[in-house]
Amino acid sequence: MTGLTLMVDKMSPKRLTLALAFTSALVVGVTASQIASAATNGNPSWRPQSSERLVKLPASYLKKSIDHDFKQSELGLALQNTDENIGLKAKTLNDLQSAVGQSQGEVQDELRHQFLGEKRDYIQLMSQRNELKRKHLVTKRRLFETMLEKVADSKNVSPVRQELMDKQDEAMQRFESSFDKVDMRLFKNGMAADSKYGQKHHENVSAIEKLMSRIQGHRMNSIPEDDGRPLTHEEQLRRMASNVQAEIALLDQEEGILGYMAKLVALDAMALAEESLDAELSDSDTPGSQGPAGAVSFFMNN
Amino acid sequence: MFTSIKTKLHVLALTIAVATAAFAGTNSAQAGTLENLERERAILVQTFMNPTLTPEQRQASIASTNRRLVDLERMVLRDKSLRGKNTKVVRRAFKSYDVSFMAHASAEKNLTLVDNWMEQFGLSTETLMTAEVGRR
Repeated sequence: MTGLTLMVDKMSPKRLTLALAFTSALVVGVTASQIASAATNGNPSWRPQSSERLVKLPASYLKKSIDHDFKQSELGLALQNTDENIGLKAKTLNDLQSAVGQSQGEVQDELRHQFLGEKRDYIQLMSQRNELKRKHLVTKRRLFETMLEKVADSKNVSPVRQELMDKQDEAMQRFESSFDKVDMRLFKNGMAADSKYGQKHHENVSAIEKLMSRIQGHRMNSIPEDDGRPLTHEEQLRRMASNVQAEIALLDQEEGILGYMAKLVALDAMALAEESLDAELSDSDTPGSQGPAGAVSFFMNN
Repeated sequence: MFTSIKTKLHVLALTIAVATAAFAGTNSAQAGTLENLERERAILVQTFMNPTLTPEQRQASIASTNRRLVDLERMVLRDKSLRGKNTKVVRRAFKSYDVSFMAHASAEKNLTLVDNWMEQFGLSTETLMTAEVGRR
């Protein structure tokens, strides 16, 4: 440490600035998680509510509805903003990389330093994005879990209620099987077979059937299938929840990649700092340490 | 400009979808079908037991009630809001089809309304005709 301090003392101000910058890059870029915690400013949020209405939405539309709600939220806007910044940063990195390849000497050193700094910023932004994305995915997963709980609750039927529903099914079957017989009997007894309610009911049923057939054929009402078997609402919700879980797992992997990137930036910074120090030492006027054998010639003549 | 219209359309579609979902949950929540049926049935039973009516008057009154009863019974049986509605009134209504849906049950069994009703209490025309007056 003392040795390093001495060397630093002898460096030119420009090289000293470079070395200090690399060291700061080294310190900052140790791990992606450290960056992430340091980079996230503010606390943008997204609080979707698992309402009854949302649960009843068709699964195909539900996803769009949730995504739309997220895009309008504080968290969605923050993520969008970060994505835009990352795009710009990637462009800067691309430009700098080609500039480094075309330059030489001190200019190249300067550009390499800038390139490292930009890489560090890129990693910070990516970590920030991942943090926001994780928040989004975790909230979305929680939302699906709540929705699945609600669906499961609505399916839980007490024995008394089940008995009532069985009775109602039984009554409906009996009613449908005796429907024509009842009408015939009314007609035979001199009462009009169809009352005003009966006539209107038939008209409405036929209108409802037409609408239902149009609804069933509507492309927005198509039910996703699995091997030709239509998926239930609950199955679709479960699939959406597992897709979110898969996205979270991929995000974990991406964070690993960012960690490696950060480590590479740190190593590059160390290499650049070492190169700068070597170049500084080679430029030095201080003679190298020599043994007495090298001074023998001074003693050979009087 | 285009984005704004696109966003507005999206929001509109969402609102309609949510409203549709709301409709699906509430359009069948009409109250009173069962209460109306109960009221009509009570009037019919009163007609059965009213001693001041002549047989012709009773018959005419029952015939007029029967038509309304058929409609009311159909309204109750088709009322989706009653599905699984675990209340005492609904449970009692579906406990016995023959008692609650008298018009349909009697037509199904080729009985008159009175005969069907009395049958539910263990009385038939035959048993009444063969009954003898005696001292206990």
